[in-house]
Amino acid sequence: MKSLTLRSSVALACALSLAGCGGGNKNLLLAGSISGLSKDGLVLQNNGEKLVIAAGQTTFSFPALLSNDEAFDITVVSEPGSADCAVTNGKGKTGAYNVTSVLVTCVTHTFELGGTIDGLGDASGLVVVNGSDRQEIRANAEAFNMTRVNADNSYASGKVAQGAPYGVSILTQPTGRSCTVQNGTGTMGDKPVSSVQINCKT
Amino acid sequence: MTCNFTRSALALTLVLALAGCGGKADFPVSGTVLGLSYDGLVLTTNGMDLPVAKGSTTFSFPKALSYGEVYAVTVPALGQPQHQTCQVINGSDTAGRLASINVSVICALNQHAVGGIIREQAPDGTFRALTTDGLTLTNGSNSGVITAKAGTTSFTFGVLVPYGISYGVTVLTQPAGATCTVAPNGTGIMGDNAIADIDVKCVANK
Repeated sequence: MKSLTLRSSVALACALSLAGCGGGNKNLLLAGSISGLSKDGLVLQNNGEKLVIAAGQTTFSFPALLSNDEAFDITVVSEPGSADCAVTNGKGKTGAYNVTSVLVTCVTHTFELGGTIDGLGDASGLVVVNGSDRQEIRANAEAFNMTRVNADNSYASGKVAQGAPYGVSILTQPTGRSCTVQNGTGTMGDKPVSSVQINCKT
Repeated sequence: MTCNFTRSALALTLVLALAGCGGKADFPVSGTVLGLSYDGLVLTTNGMDLPVAKGSTTFSFPKALSYGEVYAVTVPALGQPQHQTCQVINGSDTAGRLASINVSVICALNQHAVGGIIREQAPDGTFRALTTDGLTLTNGSNSGVITAKAGTTSFTFGVLVPYGISYGVTVLTQPAGATCTVAPNGTGIMGDNAIADIDVKCVANK
């Protein structure tokens, strides 16, 4: 994949430098790279020309070529529902060469995962996990989420990306009580999950 | 005698000249260590063994090499730290070819697979392979999803879990014809061996 990207890049660079030599009108590419795009729905626009980008695409190039000294201004007109995409180096004027330095960076939305705790009382030692995310639940807690603040005040996000699965389970039972999880597994939607239920009994 | 003296003088001049150029005639074998969180790492070269303690960010072998001596820093067979594997980068060369010796040692936590068995209890109480499609299992949010079709009797997540990191296998979707639960051993903290005994038990729907 890397090699393919590299090869494509080299090919693109060659094409670009050749195209750049001509110097005539409407012979410059407007192109760039994309990162983090996992869903369809991204549409870019330059001077009224729209370009639909598919999930997983890592490069793009507008079909219409530009002239020397032509202004361009790439904007995001529509985002995939689950991510924010931003354009950098998207505005400027062409020189003698193709424009290949535009970057589109997409970040998938993430949401908090948590819920309610019933019957924990003053018992301590309950630890729940969502896979590699671990959260210790304090005595008397009646709610929880997976984001935690560590003893040294560092912060570990337990948020889950939109569209990703989650599964809350119990790593360590609290002293003197036995807890079970209901509604602990699902797929993250477009808002925080607060419906995981932990029920503890003596 | 004269000859001897001349030879010594010549040798001395050479050493001085070299020392003058390079600035030194001794080359300590030293370098940097990245990510070492457990004890037990031993590095070896030129007959020297050097234990490196957890948390170290640099190392230097006790005896420096002379100009032109060849070195090859390696981790001996039993020299890996607990729970980690270290790699040596730029570990071999000839002393003096560069102004100083700078070896890199990079350590990463060992990672192991998470998996287990899937069994379905028939109405007569006996166990068999899954008889319907639709069971999916997840280990939290970042380890991919296992899709277990009819006939499946075991599973292993493709994403490995590093030592000391938690895992928790849960049922994301139930198969069409049974209800599955994951035994308490589906949640734990990764040790030094792969987990292959998580019990996913399904009971055929009536």
